[in-house]
Amino acid sequence: MNINADPVPDTFVRVAEVWVPKEGRLVHAKGDYVHSPAFAEASVAESFAKGEGLPGKVWESGKPIVLKEFDGSYFKRVEAATEAGLTSAVAIPVFAEDTLKAVLVLFCSADADHMGAIEVWEYMQERLTLVEGYYGSAKEFEAASQDMVFSHGQGLPGGVWSANTPILKRDIARLGSFMRSEQAAAAGFKIGLGLPIPTPDDNVVVLTLLSAPNTPIAHRFEIWDARPECVGATRQAQLIDGLCEREGALWAQQNPPVDPPMAHAWKGPIGQVLGTGLPYVQREGAGLPAGYTSMFALPIYREADLAYVVACYL
Amino acid sequence: MSWIDIGTLNDIPLRGSRIVKTEAGCIALFRTAETEVFATSNTCAHKKGPLSEGIVHDRKVTCPLHNWVFSLETGEAQGADKGRIATYPVKVQDGRLLLDLDAVLAKVA
Amino acid sequence: MQKMVIIGAGMASGRMLEHIHESDPDAFDVTIFNAEPRGNYNRIMLSPVLAGDRSFEEIVTHDDNWYADNNITTRFGERVTGVDRERKVVIGEKGEVPYDKLILATGSSPFIIPIPGHDLPGVVGYRDLEDTDAMIDASAIRGSSAVVIGGGLLGLEAAAGLRMRGMEVTVLHIAGHLMDRQLDETAGYLLKLDLEKRGIKVITEANTKEIIGNGKVEKVLLDDGTELAADIVVMAAGIRPAVQVGRDAGLDVGRAIKVNAQMCTSDPDIFAVGECVEFNENIFGLVAPLYDQAKVLANTLLGKEDVFTVRELSTKLKVTGCDLFSAGDFAEGEGREDIVFRDPKRRVYKRLIIENDRLIGAVMYGDTADSNWFFGLIKDGTDIEEMRETLIFGPSFQGGGAAASDPLAAVAALPLEAEICGCNGVCKGDIIKAIEGGVTTLDDVRTKTKASASCGTCTGLVEQVLAVSLGDDFEIKAEKPVCKCTDLTHEDVRRLIKAQELKTQPAVWQELAWKTPNGCHVCRPAINFYLLSDWPLDYQDDLQSRFVNERNHANIQKDGTYSVMPRMWGGMTTPDELIAVANAAKKFDAAVKVTGGQRIDLLGIKKEDLPEIWSDLNNAGMVSGHGYTKGLRTVKTCVGTDWCRFGTQDSTGLGIKLEKKLWGSWTPHKVKLGVSGCPRNCAEATCKDVGIICVDSGYQISVAGAAGMDVKMTESLVDVATEAEVEEWVTAFVQLYRENAKYLDRAYKWVAKVGLDWVKEELSDPDTRKALVERFDISQSVYQKDPWADHVSNRAEQYKHLADLTLEAVT
Repeated sequence: MNINADPVPDTFVRVAEVWVPKEGRLVHAKGDYVHSPAFAEASVAESFAKGEGLPGKVWESGKPIVLKEFDGSYFKRVEAATEAGLTSAVAIPVFAEDTLKAVLVLFCSADADHMGAIEVWEYMQERLTLVEGYYGSAKEFEAASQDMVFSHGQGLPGGVWSANTPILKRDIARLGSFMRSEQAAAAGFKIGLGLPIPTPDDNVVVLTLLSAPNTPIAHRFEIWDARPECVGATRQAQLIDGLCEREGALWAQQNPPVDPPMAHAWKGPIGQVLGTGLPYVQREGAGLPAGYTSMFALPIYREADLAYVVACYL
Repeated sequence: MSWIDIGTLNDIPLRGSRIVKTEAGCIALFRTAETEVFATSNTCAHKKGPLSEGIVHDRKVTCPLHNWVFSLETGEAQGADKGRIATYPVKVQDGRLLLDLDAVLAKVA
Repeated sequence: MQKMVIIGAGMASGRMLEHIHESDPDAFDVTIFNAEPRGNYNRIMLSPVLAGDRSFEEIVTHDDNWYADNNITTRFGERVTGVDRERKVVIGEKGEVPYDKLILATGSSPFIIPIPGHDLPGVVGYRDLEDTDAMIDASAIRGSSAVVIGGGLLGLEAAAGLRMRGMEVTVLHIAGHLMDRQLDETAGYLLKLDLEKRGIKVITEANTKEIIGNGKVEKVLLDDGTELAADIVVMAAGIRPAVQVGRDAGLDVGRAIKVNAQMCTSDPDIFAVGECVEFNENIFGLVAPLYDQAKVLANTLLGKEDVFTVRELSTKLKVTGCDLFSAGDFAEGEGREDIVFRDPKRRVYKRLIIENDRLIGAVMYGDTADSNWFFGLIKDGTDIEEMRETLIFGPSFQGGGAAASDPLAAVAALPLEAEICGCNGVCKGDIIKAIEGGVTTLDDVRTKTKASASCGTCTGLVEQVLAVSLGDDFEIKAEKPVCKCTDLTHEDVRRLIKAQELKTQPAVWQELAWKTPNGCHVCRPAINFYLLSDWPLDYQDDLQSRFVNERNHANIQKDGTYSVMPRMWGGMTTPDELIAVANAAKKFDAAVKVTGGQRIDLLGIKKEDLPEIWSDLNNAGMVSGHGYTKGLRTVKTCVGTDWCRFGTQDSTGLGIKLEKKLWGSWTPHKVKLGVSGCPRNCAEATCKDVGIICVDSGYQISVAGAAGMDVKMTESLVDVATEAEVEEWVTAFVQLYRENAKYLDRAYKWVAKVGLDWVKEELSDPDTRKALVERFDISQSVYQKDPWADHVSNRAEQYKHLADLTLEAVT
């Protein structure tokens, strides 16, 4: 039942699901499968041991995994996913130090009309090196991305790594150091979301999501700062950046900036993440910004503390 | 049609109401704009509240007893409430108010 | 209209225009020059634009539409060549503009250090969008290098932005540590580490000798012989106020254009604001004082008194992932004491500087969560003696108690089958289901599930379930709009009615963008009240916006008849009044009820009989008892010293005086008073909106009681000695309530919202009290009249049928 009367383009991400560890296995906790009830059915009943299926592999490796195609891989729900029109997936582990809190899996639907890029960068020998990338039909961009490296502090991956902070970049094709500018412009990539993903071995890998306005990763992005050194000891978070197709920039634009929006534990979707410390997925219902029907949110830890929440609205 | 002269436009305050007694019960006349008048039953379909004592807004009136809102054009209750009040033809001619008495009595018969 | 010319469309003049247009949009005919070919943008956000963390569009504060909407003539991209003070004209490149008031807001320019090579192409200041674009263009060349001269706020932000864009960046700073004006050495050190982690090279104690290049910048040479390759050199060594226009015009200029505390220059018709200003030997570079100046200047121009004062400032750095804060004075000195906290693992450093038990400075790195609290202590000069030991741990450690436990977490953890409402057997799951079905308010939950619809003790729990499920949406709904006609809250509407001087209902509907043609039954009575209470002399009370009881000055009963209740001052009456009441009751076949407020109510009166019964009662000297209004109802009294052996004062007499003072006034909701002659409180004064208890020493005034759906005892407002003081305080309280409360909030609800302390603070100032009473008296000059007599003589017709067609039908 893909009712989409809106002229708003479909997003690149179509399905989001959360897996949590329980008695030695990863069990299904939440999911938004509105585009694909059959896939929902196949998923809810599933559970994974460490190393098994996509969530289990992520658990084992401790790093995000980009699955470019399902066929012939360890992916277990191939048939249902293919039937649902899903072509690829990225699975993101949520670690607090060496404890796995959850795995967030995002499924994408890419065809000639749906473009987006998902990249995983690792810090090796003082460089951020592209270790995985999924580009859908943005083939030229994919070609330009081979063997890409960034120095620390440079570009979106280097910036995220250095600051250890999620960053939302505008106009990425105009970023000087973004050496794939031409191809990025051709693919229409405009917004870049970079996420520091801590690994259990105390390293940080950087996940970047590149979004084009006509086939966005999501229609609205928010970055919430939940670090005690920013908001104090109570479980709350402050909206530090955000972009929305409907409302424009979401940061506190008054100057000097006064009272940025706050989220409090247990209240609203962001509050669920703050309260539970787990990724969160919601379809419809209360708490979503006007005009949005679906969202997913990812907690980002620094050591044992929840530090940031990144939310995407579809 | 039998248009009966019942008074002048200025007898009714703007966004106010007056009533006319008839065999069919009291009829409320509402002045919604400078030269716009509607006639309906004065009795709320809910608990018989006197609609002429309600607040007139847009082309609607709110019953003073329990805040039911009725369209003066159609007589239909608005929002979640279900119900209807009778409406009658009325017109303004040279500042005089004319009510169609036949229509009023027809609804009684 | 006066002609205002502004030179410079920056943040200070922009803020000033906003103030003026908020208060009096028609005060000036404004022309604004700007050398930059655009209007005002948030200049301090250029660094995030450079870093790619913001787009330029996001930081524009006033776009072309804004200037157009406010009828401001713009001369953007045009330089001003001079000011002729004799003829009072500003001379632009494209022509002259006459002025009555001239505002200089020329800002500042980057200070370019006059070393050899400073004029080579590739040397840029960092001031405007053009500079930012030049840096972005320079970074587009792969592997290019930048040298930033100046390790202050602006230089470091530029360096971080250029690094993010892929350049090799070196920062040269002349002092021993970065941001030496704002940070101490430790914080400077931590900052250096953070920048180095970004791949930025930092050289301190660096003296630049020369910029070398053939036709364009190529390298930078330091005193010690170090050579640094550079495709661009950013000069961020400070700013210089731009004073040329002011100096050429012959104004007093020191380091900048001199102004007084009203922002006026040496010419009474020329003002200056922003970075081009010198006040008491201070010049200004941060935005906070600029905004203060903008407000003062706006007030000065509008003829209001205001004074600019120099305040403490605080600094934050806009480099993603660098959390630093500094405020006040942090130099070491005699009599000063430091409190230092360090957490090396988390790279946290906090230092507080204390002098004479006052916090005078703070530097924080890596953990700035409590920075606003510390800044507040510095600004307010709070005595910190008591909390010195725990001060560094911030506000959450003060007061001893641990942070309160989180009730929402408990509710969130409840299973779906947990029972929430015992009366109606509703469990959490039922409520969640209703919320998922679109329910968003407590009332809706009650209708849909019956939870909390009976005894109501579970209301709090239900609200918590709503809060947990709806998040901040639920709280936002608590401040909901007046009605469906508008998105504004009552508070917004009240504020805007005053600020925009809206004096008619159509003005409110139009100016506040009502969505309906003329409101609805919810907003009309509220707006009518706000207008008549704010503008008693201008606004004409609108009967058609009043609920039936207030329109017909009698209480409608469920059968459509009315009740009539004459006033009996302080509950006192006379045999003649009683005879008149009895006669009226007989004549109109009324039921007779003695009320709780010590009055006699006649029930069952037909609408068409109202004018006649009023006339009868008027003839016996009685007036309306206003038993139907959101206004003063009754003053209940005991018999007091006249009769009672315990009475301490003349409570009856005082009650009558108060009633005679207050009757006829409209209030947000009904107002009831009680005056008891002694603490035995026979008049039940302590559950009224205002209660007075007489004691030997005088009178105890208490307010905000309730005895309806809620029962609440009054809280003490003040104790006074004389009846005159009672009258003044009570009148002032009622007027404060009239001016500030939301329509249909009883006094106790309003006091709970604003806080009794605020009410006390307002009323304890004799001038405020006097002004409130004066405004009340003005309102009473219009509204203190008997509505019965008025309607009998002016509106009796309206109580009759327009026509009786039953006769018509018979013929």
